[in-house]
Amino acid sequence: MKLASILAASIIALVSFSTAFAQTDCTKVVPASPWGPNDETGATNRVTPAVTKAAAAEIREGKVIPMSYILKDGVPLFGSRFTKTILTATSLAPGGALGENQLTYMEDTWLSQSHVGTHLDGVGHIGRKDCYYNQTAMGKYINQNTMTKLGLEHLKSFATRGVLIDAVRVFQAAGKLKSNPACRKACLDKGTVITAADLQAGLKMYNVTLREGDIVVVHTGWGDLFEQFPAQNATFNSGQPGIGKDAATWLISQKIVAVGSDNWAVEVIPGEDPKEAFIVHNMLITDNGIHIIENVRTDLMADEAARTKRATFFFNMTVPRAYGLTGNFVGIDGIR
Amino acid sequence: MASLAPAARPGRRRRAVLLVACAITALFASHLAGADERRYTIAFANLIEEPGVTLEATGFTGRDVRESLLLAARVHPIDLVLYDNGRDCARAPANVEDAVSRKVDLFIQYCHSADVNAVVAEKLKAARIPVIAVNEPLAGAPLYTLDNGAAGRIAGDALGDFALRTWRGRPLEAAIVGSLAGRGVPERAHGVQERLRHHLPAVRITRLDTQGNPAQVAGLVGRFLAARPGAKVLVAAMDDTTALACKSALEAAGRLSDAAVVSHGADRSIRGGMSERKEIDPNNRGSIVLGSVAFYLDRVGYAVLPLALRMLRGQPTPPRTVTPHRLITAANVFVEYPPYDMQ
Repeated sequence: MKLASILAASIIALVSFSTAFAQTDCTKVVPASPWGPNDETGATNRVTPAVTKAAAAEIREGKVIPMSYILKDGVPLFGSRFTKTILTATSLAPGGALGENQLTYMEDTWLSQSHVGTHLDGVGHIGRKDCYYNQTAMGKYINQNTMTKLGLEHLKSFATRGVLIDAVRVFQAAGKLKSNPACRKACLDKGTVITAADLQAGLKMYNVTLREGDIVVVHTGWGDLFEQFPAQNATFNSGQPGIGKDAATWLISQKIVAVGSDNWAVEVIPGEDPKEAFIVHNMLITDNGIHIIENVRTDLMADEAARTKRATFFFNMTVPRAYGLTGNFVGIDGIR
Repeated sequence: MASLAPAARPGRRRRAVLLVACAITALFASHLAGADERRYTIAFANLIEEPGVTLEATGFTGRDVRESLLLAARVHPIDLVLYDNGRDCARAPANVEDAVSRKVDLFIQYCHSADVNAVVAEKLKAARIPVIAVNEPLAGAPLYTLDNGAAGRIAGDALGDFALRTWRGRPLEAAIVGSLAGRGVPERAHGVQERLRHHLPAVRITRLDTQGNPAQVAGLVGRFLAARPGAKVLVAAMDDTTALACKSALEAAGRLSDAAVVSHGADRSIRGGMSERKEIDPNNRGSIVLGSVAFYLDRVGYAVLPLALRMLRGQPTPPRTVTPHRLITAANVFVEYPPYDMQ
């Protein structure tokens, strides 16, 4: 009787377990990677030595333009994300210095989620059901701490050409700019859809043609609200201008490595279809391994491009090769 | 004269004719290709834009409706002209006159007054401007409308199914709670009753009328529960504010485990977002509020603008299109209403 009970309980547990962890056939949900079934890298495969060498030609004056925001407690964060920095400065206390040379030191504890401030979305960040980039059935590759596939450790270099598209100027030139009163400088208002035609107009404005391996950076002006943190956090968070599905489709066809923007999702919010959630993330990351870089500081490069009539630069960004992470904050410089 | 001479030759003439034909064809083709790109000016006269005034006995406001048009228009070749018909549609005739003077391509009228709508219809007909009516018929115009009866039937089915699955054989009582004379509410209540009777023929259904004051819910529901100490209770709330008030009343009476509530509207007061935990939320699947039937007044634009474009492009338009009501629960709320903002 006892054995029968144990057997019955085991069967029930087994059935419940397999239901809870039922896996989708990811070959029907996500396309295969063009870099093969074992690819965990994504679009940085496009950054070949030839691509980096060609991008180096963008460095003409050695001028470095910052393209990331200061990361500080209080900047706008998505949903329930948080950051908290704690400084350890105990050796500054009387008697705390070390040795005759009176060495003191300080260090930090940074309690933070990885997708904060200027940050990169890795290929393991966004999926469809339990299916992630390159048909990865992610349920099999996560534990309590990390992913065991598609982590940032698989990334190659981002040393490539950056191309700025100034959507503010495009909309101004087309006479369709609708700004937001909270922006101190011209910005596109939240919900403004940037189309493929807008991107193409932006490239034409600076006589640029995209090439394989580029990183595209879209200036919307919305980042001005980020800079006003915490005063405009609520407005910044309430939506944003950004690329729509048509623009994403076109960018994918251009075989770029990443697309960044001065807002928190790169894509337009609210989205074009109210029943779709962050669909451009799915298109770029899940289906094509193209990275998204959020909260990129674009205003300085936009000014520089307008002044010099040149919108290309060497994209200098390093990403910690953090094992199993879905993304991380980054520092970016545009070098000209 | 020399330039005319070659044209006189038969071969060159044929080529010239061919060239002209090609040019005409190309022009015609480009005209056709451009036809889809034509932008239309569409006027929308909203029922009322007054802050805090809710529509159709739900928690949605005129702002929700207006914003749905603005958002939906982004992906269409449409320029919107927006009007507020004001209380009792007092401003409707002036709005139409302004739209006529602007030569809009189409007018969308949202007004509850049949008399005003008759005047509006006449003016637009005289100006040869096509019109779509929202939630109240207008002579000769396609109608996009809520289906309160269908919504009520969905709620009744949800309560009936739940009772049969959970409380089969237990003493059951049902209550229809809300502002029972509100616009569309009698149809809603009738739909609930019809389906409850279908699933549970013996159930006693009591109507608790708040007469438009949700503060009445505590007393009405409290007395109802006190008179039925041993019964399981099915509550059909006519709107989300009432549903939440019913839950509070059940909690106050210590009867949460005896009740199930289904609501109507699915407005922001009852469904959660990314960070704002509300009653209908994937993390709150044990709630006694089983769900709320969606009225999608915040998506009117997504339904109406495609209809408008069909009319303007000369394509057939159904005379009546109804809102596809469905029950929003903890299991599907993030599918139906994906949270998108960072708040």
